Amino acid sequence: MNSAAQVATSTEITSYSSALWEVMDRAMRTNPNVLLLGQGVDDFKGIFGSTTGLAEAYGRERVMDMPLMEEGMTGIAVGAALNGVYPILSHIRSDFVLLSANQIINLIAKYKYMFGGLFSLPLMIRTVVGRSWGQGAQHSQSLQSLFAHIPGLTVVMPSSAETILDTYPYLIEQHRAPVITLEHRMLYSLDFEVNRDAVAAVKDPLSSRLVRSGKDVTIVATSIMVLEARRAANWLLEHAGISVEIIDLHCLTNIDREMILASVAKTGRLLVLDTSWVGFGVAAEVCRIVAEHDPGALKVPVKTIGMAPAPCPTAKALEDLYYPNLATVVDAAARLVRGAGHGVELPHERTMSDIYKKFRGPF
Amino acid sequence: MTDTAHYKELFRQALLIRRVEEKIIDVYPSDNIQSPVHLSIGQEAVSVGLCAALDPGDMIYGSYRGHALYIACGGDLTQMFAELMGRVGGISKGKAGSMHLSFPAKGLMGASAVVATQLPHAVGSALAAKHRKTGQAIVCVFGDGALEEGVAHESFNFAALNSLPVLFLCENNRLAVHSHQRDRQSFSVEGLATLYGFPFRKVSEGWDLLKVEAECRVALDAVRRGDGPQFLEITTFRSREHVGIGDDLDQGYRSRAEFDHWQARDPLVQNAALAEALLPEIDAEIDAAFAKADASPTPGIEHLLTDVV
Repeated sequence: MNSAAQVATSTEITSYSSALWEVMDRAMRTNPNVLLLGQGVDDFKGIFGSTTGLAEAYGRERVMDMPLMEEGMTGIAVGAALNGVYPILSHIRSDFVLLSANQIINLIAKYKYMFGGLFSLPLMIRTVVGRSWGQGAQHSQSLQSLFAHIPGLTVVMPSSAETILDTYPYLIEQHRAPVITLEHRMLYSLDFEVNRDAVAAVKDPLSSRLVRSGKDVTIVATSIMVLEARRAANWLLEHAGISVEIIDLHCLTNIDREMILASVAKTGRLLVLDTSWVGFGVAAEVCRIVAEHDPGALKVPVKTIGMAPAPCPTAKALEDLYYPNLATVVDAAARLVRGAGHGVELPHERTMSDIYKKFRGPF
Repeated sequence: MTDTAHYKELFRQALLIRRVEEKIIDVYPSDNIQSPVHLSIGQEAVSVGLCAALDPGDMIYGSYRGHALYIACGGDLTQMFAELMGRVGGISKGKAGSMHLSFPAKGLMGASAVVATQLPHAVGSALAAKHRKTGQAIVCVFGDGALEEGVAHESFNFAALNSLPVLFLCENNRLAVHSHQRDRQSFSVEGLATLYGFPFRKVSEGWDLLKVEAECRVALDAVRRGDGPQFLEITTFRSREHVGIGDDLDQGYRSRAEFDHWQARDPLVQNAALAEALLPEIDAEIDAAFAKADASPTPGIEHLLTDVV
């Protein structure tokens, strides 16, 4: 924990996309064998600002626009990694990664183990999770559990500019294994406070993060749901005096089990917030961890919140019902602490996407 | 030509591959090898000719029918047998089996059991070779079936677009499991290769060690000159069933006459005198390697979770 004085001297404001741009630029600048590959990495939109200008700075031989060939470009990343290049692939929606699932699941995840450690595949696959403005069934999926399910992959979901800055350089420069990141589209335009001292001080960049200490209820969350957990925690403290502890899972393949168990042992109550469907997913996994290791710590049954169990609809009216909102989260946490008749005033927001107004579409 | 020391060395390698696979056939009923084997018998000359034309530092990507490529590029026999038997002494400590033989020290960078997945791998290594200016030639060896996969188009398009130093070598045995090429492909191999502007060469005599080597050399020279991707189709013949040790010539999907046609040209069959002269030493080498591999321990729980990430 940093003292208030340190925070005051070293905090700056950086957007999620600026942080991504900074780590991409650093990767290109520090290693001439880093290549950025993807549809549109060199265009004027530059993967929502995260690669803008890098083609001009480092050349189109290193920042390569790719044909529409998701499987092919993923296989190309494998071969490039086996011959001394660190490839960074970008997909503007994680849905499109399904076209490269064969290479990711059958080859990338297994290349080290299947050959008995003769090869390693240091590479990064960046994907963007869409939400709101009618992204619909094929531009909105958050497929982290699909990839975290497969042994051999490292799956990261940065929830802030700071977690990008303290983790991506480590992944690119030191991790020496295949990484899939899921970056949330609605976070791209948001500004975050970044403490450069804290960035430099992170010892285990892939660990889960205790982002808020509390005593009444534990919220374990991913990606943008960490922000929702923080807003809910503020509301609950202000309106009901309920104290919320928040854990950002951050790297889904390196969950800090002890951190979760210690928190649940303290609070006795667990709410899991994920950006995807809850069944067979991150929410189910966190509940498994508690059920297997310390079910007796729970004073009440767990609650999980994610997308409704259907493909994503496009109509805003349905989309607002499809995703959880602040009221959903506050209500669930209050029920865990005080029961169904909790009496805690609920916020009146109909949708998160109205709060994160900066994303005004179309993509 | 066929009495030179060079020819004899190629012949010896091809015979070594065949005898290794015949050893596998002998051993298989004992269940000491519990790994699906896709035998190269009949196709040895393709791998031997190719590897004779490679330079140090070049890279090769192959498929599950990979015993021949592994041995031709100099792979250790003890480690291969140990791998097939699932022993710690295997090249991949028993985690690869027959279908994923590799030998990075000599540039064999992997073998995949999912058809055509190795095509973009070779293209990616060629992209890295071009970017890093290594001067390497990268070779992708694949069967005719791989040409039907969508990723083949993606790989060819990108290699052509970027003029990458890669040789696409189609080892054409005209069979995908039990399905004939004429029932699977609406295009000709040459027509497809030409579509991407690849210089195309074809060897119809896939048994001919020297001709395969010479054509590989022509194609690899072009790759090294910076002429971009090259495409070489080599017609060959799979003597055994798709997977396993059996002879399925009487199962109706192909003819014994075709087998006889290739047998009549197979140097390992036709040049019996040379084979006889080499066999004692080759068989002794194989038996020694097998015995040594068989003495290697089986992996235990301490190996189960190593090398995952």
